[in-house]
Amino acid sequence: MAMTEALSVENITKTFPGVIANNDISLSIEKGTIRAIVGENGAGKTTLMNIIYGLYQPDSGQIFINGKEVTFSSPRDAIDQGIGMVHQHFKLVPSYTLAQNIALGVEPRKAIFIDEEKLNSSVQEIAQKYGFTINEKEVSANVSVGEQQRAEILKALYRGVEILVLDEPTAVLTDIETKELFVMLRNLVGQGITILFISHKLREVLEISDEISVMRAGKLVGTVKRDETDECQLAEMMVGRETIGGRIRTPSEKGELVMEIETLSVLDNRDLKAVRNVSLDLYCGEIVGGAGVDGNGQEEFVEALLGLRPISEGIIRIDGKEIQNSSTREIRESGVAYIPSDRYRSGVAIDASIWENMIPGEYYVQPYSNGISLVMPEIIQISDQLIRKFNVSTPGIEVKTGNLSGGNIQRVIAARELGLEKAKVVIASQPTRGIDIAGTEAIRQMLVDYADRGAAVLVISADLDEILALSDRIVVFYEGQILDAGYYDDGIRQSIGWLMTAGKDYCAEEEVDEEITK
Amino acid sequence: MLKKKSMKKSQNNHAWKEKLVNTLAQVANYLLILIIALIIGALVMYLSGKDPIAAYAALWQGAFGNGYRFADTLDRSSIMILAGIAGSIAFRTNIINLGLEGQLYIGAFTAAWVGFTFTNLPSIVHIPLGLIAGILGGAFWTLPVLYLKLRWKIPELVPSLMLNYIAIRLTDYLIAFPFRDPTAPMAGSPLVAASARLPKLIQGSTINIGFIIAILLIFVSYWFIFKTKLGYEMRMVGLNQDFAAAAGLPVRRSIILAMLISGGVIGLGGAIMILGFFGRFLGGFSSGYGWDGFMIAIIAQNHPFAVFPAAIFFGALANGALTMQSVTGVPQAVVAMVKGTLVLFVTVKVFLENIRKGLKKWVM
Repeated sequence: MAMTEALSVENITKTFPGVIANNDISLSIEKGTIRAIVGENGAGKTTLMNIIYGLYQPDSGQIFINGKEVTFSSPRDAIDQGIGMVHQHFKLVPSYTLAQNIALGVEPRKAIFIDEEKLNSSVQEIAQKYGFTINEKEVSANVSVGEQQRAEILKALYRGVEILVLDEPTAVLTDIETKELFVMLRNLVGQGITILFISHKLREVLEISDEISVMRAGKLVGTVKRDETDECQLAEMMVGRETIGGRIRTPSEKGELVMEIETLSVLDNRDLKAVRNVSLDLYCGEIVGGAGVDGNGQEEFVEALLGLRPISEGIIRIDGKEIQNSSTREIRESGVAYIPSDRYRSGVAIDASIWENMIPGEYYVQPYSNGISLVMPEIIQISDQLIRKFNVSTPGIEVKTGNLSGGNIQRVIAARELGLEKAKVVIASQPTRGIDIAGTEAIRQMLVDYADRGAAVLVISADLDEILALSDRIVVFYEGQILDAGYYDDGIRQSIGWLMTAGKDYCAEEEVDEEITK
Repeated sequence: MLKKKSMKKSQNNHAWKEKLVNTLAQVANYLLILIIALIIGALVMYLSGKDPIAAYAALWQGAFGNGYRFADTLDRSSIMILAGIAGSIAFRTNIINLGLEGQLYIGAFTAAWVGFTFTNLPSIVHIPLGLIAGILGGAFWTLPVLYLKLRWKIPELVPSLMLNYIAIRLTDYLIAFPFRDPTAPMAGSPLVAASARLPKLIQGSTINIGFIIAILLIFVSYWFIFKTKLGYEMRMVGLNQDFAAAAGLPVRRSIILAMLISGGVIGLGGAIMILGFFGRFLGGFSSGYGWDGFMIAIIAQNHPFAVFPAAIFFGALANGALTMQSVTGVPQAVVAMVKGTLVLFVTVKVFLENIRKGLKKWVM
């Protein structure tokens, strides 16, 4: 019983400077099925999808559609061959109607004009064919995220694609919208469409896919059938079993409680609950690692701690003093250092000089200010001292910060936040993302040193190896909750993997259940 | 130790050369752009059958032809300087204050009101009072914009723009009814008291102490923007508001201050025009000085020292254009075209990088 193969890739390899993003990947997907590709951040899922969609060209390897070899030099080629992709961030023109967006560039025409009537009817026709409800005459900016996504999918179908690649389609959806999406996807495969679905939410993957391929560190770990696997096995495949190299943290005694977070809830930009009723205590001399897939409330949590985002409920204390209603400056003054995840967005002003980026915590106090104006000799001296101490490589402190490399900019931030050794709590979000190895090591060592000197350190990272290299205690962000994975030990990788992907220590519970039944 | 010192020295030397190159490149860039703008103006005149050389000569004559004309040009530049500074301070904080023109009208009116309402004050009190009234009036007119921006997150662009029309019509109303002076040659308020008039610097020219105030304000605003705590905050908020917020800088305060100062400075400009030049509030008295300020700020890239030459140039164009039109028949509109071309080339920065690279090779 030979099934027809819609898409297959063979021995795909793609390297970027310093990383092998895809290492000898081979996959084969049957027509009319849903295949999920799961893996941690940086496992190479998106790279693979971009190769299949023609955005990247592989260094080696082949792509076959319906058994015929194809090469793509752009997404246009891929679309011509029947592959469509829906990105995580939608690309709709906000002021156009959904129908105009769906048919953008391939509109039915009447002489040189767009035939609006036919446009709307043809869009409605295709929506009905695949069982989508859509208000095609509504302007994109006015419709829900779920409907925008439906429009994105229809946009691909309108161009006659038969293979649909969805990059984390549920990341932006509410639970109800996710359920609706799954019904539609089932409809699509029923009509012969093949779907490739990238996700790291195992529960959803198990709900919707026929087969699941797991990637880790650029390699394909394996492909399993949905009915023959469970969250436990998938999580294990995702995070691996290898012993951890590069742990630089030696166990230490934790000191007093510095920062208490009690039943904190925070809304995201869409007014949905991004952080749900979480509690966390930070102690002097302890490094707490916050693991978790991006977008599980980490950013909102950190912003709330710093007073950058209003909280909807909860109490935050530093040294017993409530700070949840304090300004960012007051929170900073009570001893919070912050290394933001996006250094270009909120870590520095790239068009300002290095010294200007060095002093936002100091410029208004003695001796750096006399009350009205800046005292430049003092500012120059402290900035010079800090860039030398943190090995920022630059010809001088007048240089525009944007001219430095990413690693050096991160050193500027670290120098500013940690250099004066005032902080009692250090909150570091993705502190080494996109930084070379030497820079990564230097920044991790700084955080460890800082904890050794008695500060409480919270490292939030989607890079599990980073969490395992640094943390004394580990918590996991999962759908806005903070789940406790416990103190570091050799077996913790598994628990974190389960918590990250399933929200519970699934397999541990199973073991307990077994013991009870015995 | 010795090595370190010499390294430091060479570093300083490097930094100094870098600064020199940047400054020279800027100057060369402006000259080039200016020449291009004038050539484009000349081309249009030539194509419409006028003699561009005669026109530019008349323009020069009108602006700088003799001592008095030169002084008049400087007088006209005072308001341009203040308008340019007002635009720059807002831009530095990443606020696009399109309401300069309206703030100018309100500041001018409040100053005029102080001028004609109080009649028995000594000059030493009356003049500062009038100027302060202008500052407060201009600043006051930014409050609705600030409220909408901070309370409802409405970008300042549209409200500040719309308030221009409200200000112009409101002052029209005020001089048509409550404060009408039937003896005025056109719709206008009563004359301000002699004690509120700004002393002239040169008899026979309109130039008055407003020019000195404008020059002083260049230095004060330079010091404020680059050397003070508040200026640092405003610049950082302007360069990257997310960074400023995360670092704990008072973002809201900076926005409020920048807007109030911007409105206050242009309001002061309005006061100087009324108390120094017109002597009464006249309906529609401004020939778009607020808009000129906007352009001057862009051309000067928000640097107070660069505002000075740009303002002089704009003042010269304004004064010279009248002479040009009456002598050669070339319409004043050509001047607007030259201004527009300048702004365009400054914003697109087409030549700057190339000039900088060339100079770098040559100097370093």
